[in-house]
Amino acid sequence: MIKESLVHFHRMKDMPSSHLLGTGTPMCAGCGGLEALHNMYDILGEKTVFVNAAGCMTLLSVYPFTPFRGGWLYTAMASAPAGAQGVRDAMDIRLQKKKLSEDDNMEVVVVTGDGSAYGMGLSATSGAIDRNLDFIYLCYDNEGYGNTGQQYSAATPHAAITSTSKGSHGYPGFKKDLFSIWAANRPAYVATIIGAESLDLAKKIEKLKTMKGPRMLIALAPCPPGWDYDPKLSVEIGRLAVQTGVWPLKEYIDGKVVHTKIPRQRKPVEEYLKLQGRFKHLFHPQRDEQGIAEIQARIDAYWEKVTE
Amino acid sequence: MTRKLLTGNSAAAWGARLAQVDYIPAFPITPQTEIIEDISIWIDNGEMDARMVTLESEHSMITAAGSAASSGVRVFTSTSSQGLLYGMEMVYTVAGWRVPFVMINVSRGLSAPITLEPDHNDIMAARDSGFLQIHCATCQEITDSVLMAYRLAEHKEIRVPAIVNQDGFYLSFTREPVELPDADKAAAFVGEFDPENLQFKGSAPLSQAMAVLGGGPYSYFRYEAHLAVQRVLSVYDEIADEFADTFGRRYDMIDNYQMDDAEYVFVMMGSFATKAHDAVDSLRNAGWKVGLARLRIFRPFPQEKIRQLLTGRRAVAVIDQNISMGMGGVLHSEFATALYGMKDAPAVLASYIGGLGGRDISQQEFFEMINEIKQACDKGEIPHPRLLYTQNELTEMRKLQAIAQAEHADINQSEIKQKETNKK
Amino acid sequence: MFRIRFHGRGGQGMKTASRILGTAFFMEGYEVQDAPRYGAERRGAPIFAYVRADKSPVNERGVISHPDLVVVSDDTLVGMPAAGVMQGINQHTVMLINSHESAKTWQHRLNTRATIIILPAREDVEDRAELPYIGSSCAAACAALTNVISRDVFARALTEELEHLGDDIVKQNLDIALTAFDAMSPHVGIVKQSGLPSATDYKKPEWIELPYESAAISAPAIHAGVTSVEVRTGLWRTMRPIINYEKCSGCWWICSTYCPDGAINVSAEGLPDIDYEHCKGCLVCVAQCPPDAIEAIPEHVAKEQEMSGVSFSGDKA
Repeated sequence: MIKESLVHFHRMKDMPSSHLLGTGTPMCAGCGGLEALHNMYDILGEKTVFVNAAGCMTLLSVYPFTPFRGGWLYTAMASAPAGAQGVRDAMDIRLQKKKLSEDDNMEVVVVTGDGSAYGMGLSATSGAIDRNLDFIYLCYDNEGYGNTGQQYSAATPHAAITSTSKGSHGYPGFKKDLFSIWAANRPAYVATIIGAESLDLAKKIEKLKTMKGPRMLIALAPCPPGWDYDPKLSVEIGRLAVQTGVWPLKEYIDGKVVHTKIPRQRKPVEEYLKLQGRFKHLFHPQRDEQGIAEIQARIDAYWEKVTE
Repeated sequence: MTRKLLTGNSAAAWGARLAQVDYIPAFPITPQTEIIEDISIWIDNGEMDARMVTLESEHSMITAAGSAASSGVRVFTSTSSQGLLYGMEMVYTVAGWRVPFVMINVSRGLSAPITLEPDHNDIMAARDSGFLQIHCATCQEITDSVLMAYRLAEHKEIRVPAIVNQDGFYLSFTREPVELPDADKAAAFVGEFDPENLQFKGSAPLSQAMAVLGGGPYSYFRYEAHLAVQRVLSVYDEIADEFADTFGRRYDMIDNYQMDDAEYVFVMMGSFATKAHDAVDSLRNAGWKVGLARLRIFRPFPQEKIRQLLTGRRAVAVIDQNISMGMGGVLHSEFATALYGMKDAPAVLASYIGGLGGRDISQQEFFEMINEIKQACDKGEIPHPRLLYTQNELTEMRKLQAIAQAEHADINQSEIKQKETNKK
Repeated sequence: MFRIRFHGRGGQGMKTASRILGTAFFMEGYEVQDAPRYGAERRGAPIFAYVRADKSPVNERGVISHPDLVVVSDDTLVGMPAAGVMQGINQHTVMLINSHESAKTWQHRLNTRATIIILPAREDVEDRAELPYIGSSCAAACAALTNVISRDVFARALTEELEHLGDDIVKQNLDIALTAFDAMSPHVGIVKQSGLPSATDYKKPEWIELPYESAAISAPAIHAGVTSVEVRTGLWRTMRPIINYEKCSGCWWICSTYCPDGAINVSAEGLPDIDYEHCKGCLVCVAQCPPDAIEAIPEHVAKEQEMSGVSFSGDKA
């Protein structure tokens, strides 16, 4: 692993002042996924090869434009971790044979949406963790198949309206716990992050830079068109996701799950829900008290069990 | 009889609804996602009595489609390009199961490089699988073809799955007038789904799709699947007649336009063929004896009809919106196979490849093709296959390459140039 | 055949406009083909849609290269090459521009032989990406100009296309659209149909034999970094965030970090500096700025001020 002098992120003031990821990409205005990615890229730097599966971020690079300073490889929807395996193995072989200098070594970073990560990409991810692949995996989770028009995925939360769950009660299923699934595979590191909590994000990236093995991240990615809200609310919605306890910020490391932020007094979940058009049916034409209460109860039940 | 403006995707969804399908395994992919969205809404509000399940990938989706069809229900599904390819193992597999269902493919160019706009390379990849293939040129044809596809797929003498192909964007997202068949008549046309002996139930033992060892038995099963697909050639006209009598629209295996006295012929598949239709009109106005043969049924390949249609013509331009790497246009090679050795086969069977990734084929390009094949014919020459591409396109490409700094990648170009110069 | 192209921004309802017009033609007995053109279908980004209408079935496909009528819902798109407004326009074309400015000004500015008609712009809403009714108004104006769609039929078409939005919204759209319809009465019939291209007198395609090129060049790869900056996503912007440096406390780590596109740089003096070539106008910075030092003004207003030499970025401390 490339060792650099550690930058310590204590306060927001310590955040990088220069942005490495190029502007001019066609991500939507206010994209929560892009926010997490660009914050991550600032800290990881250009000695990275991003390996991508089909999703919104595939459009980051459309010929002849790319926002990356380092590497990018688009693979296919199910196989980005396998693509990462090949890139990492090849670089290791070349390092060993002295055909690649340590200076030219790169960190391999898989970036996929929830559509791939929670679904058809799970097999390749599991295999990569089995093989103890030395890589980073960023899943930007906008809770649906975003690039095709926000159909529900295994990451869609209960009651969300999506283009394939337009009934009056929204999506009948429940959000899959990808964090636990990945953790059960016992990789080196798993963490949840979000662009709205930049400092927490920066600390986690800094930490995983010093580690080896499979380092897995899920970034909740507020999505203006998919979640139906004005783009300027992206950071506020992200912050509320954390403050209401909807999106726990936590790490799996050394066999334990530790929360990096425990909201002392959680805001009522409806403050998060009511800003998003995908949950409008919980409030209009009248309040669905039971629906809101059920969502609140599930969040409360989660946090009841959290000790650290 | 309601005539309304529908996109190709909506027309496809209506086909499924009118065919009273039971089960829709689904997975989203551009440009077909609206098909499953429409069906999802209809099911949610009770307009359609069916079950839709989103699988986690197309490989799983096609597996579920085949397995549900093997268990006694009428199945509909849809996909495109990368999804079709991701499920390709199962495309071959379910066809070999000899189960009937209909799958829409919304054609889209293949990765790499990944793109969103249409061409026919994806559907060509399913060419040898054992699925029937029907290719549509209009939104009306999509709804109608879904109904006919169920009759063909479920025909006792056939019993294989069928793909109905529509072009992405040019049909899938484009609204055209569609006369929706009357629901009762459509239901009567497709009939009740009869699973025959294809259904798992407690009272009857059934092992399906078991392993087969030995070239003899394996060949038997594979040849029979091939013969079943070919059987369509015998039963198709009767079904097309019935469709025409019931709904007033006739669909032959090959759609002919101005072919009676045509000396020069365009051969095409899919929605771009309507552009050739216009080109034929303009050329006829200018005095040419030109016609259009649009292949609707691609699998089975209607060899006999092609022979009848094309023998006696001066020259034929086969336009492929696909490319077999290292070989050329797929349609062209299949037409050449059909015409080989035939008395009075056209002297010129020219290959044009275009439309890849949605690249337009302009009216002027159609005009120029006819001029080219006439000249070739007059001179007794065989024209080289042409990859349709213009100077302007290359100029634009160079600009993009400059941004991508392609010249930095080229270590060997000067060497290659030197070698070419040395050869001369 | 009528060949009509709509140009707008994502969110302005050009797809709806094309559908309303398509349905109106259809109700008048025409064969119709209408489609939106998806690019990066993002809010604020230039998009277009098209409608073809003819008495016989429409066989032509794809982008309209020789339009009879071009409709522009947002006049800031006209001067933007990426929006492709001027593609294929000639003396036969009628251009309908939703604008405050006069036809004469536009004629002079564009130096075109096309006929220019103005649809007087309403300005109820600051953010052009949220202009209500603009799709309906454009469709109505088009319908009137063709002189083959009656007022009543147009109203029916609009009602049908928007009925899923509820009666109130239909009524609002209808009222405003019909005003636009009526406003076109001096120009009805000015849009002329065009026919099939000639197969005798045509421009030969400049076909080439694509040269073989080595894989180093011809493989799909980009051998440069950060070429994305050449894409001016600032063109999507309908609202411009402007920093008031008198209020700005210099906490660049807030706005610069939260900007999803990384379009806020930090100057040598330690102050945030918005990169207007790339800022998409999401306004996250406006929402997050602790001292409320960032204000959003309509982009077209900011442009007008720029043109008249007003400096709006304030004095940097």
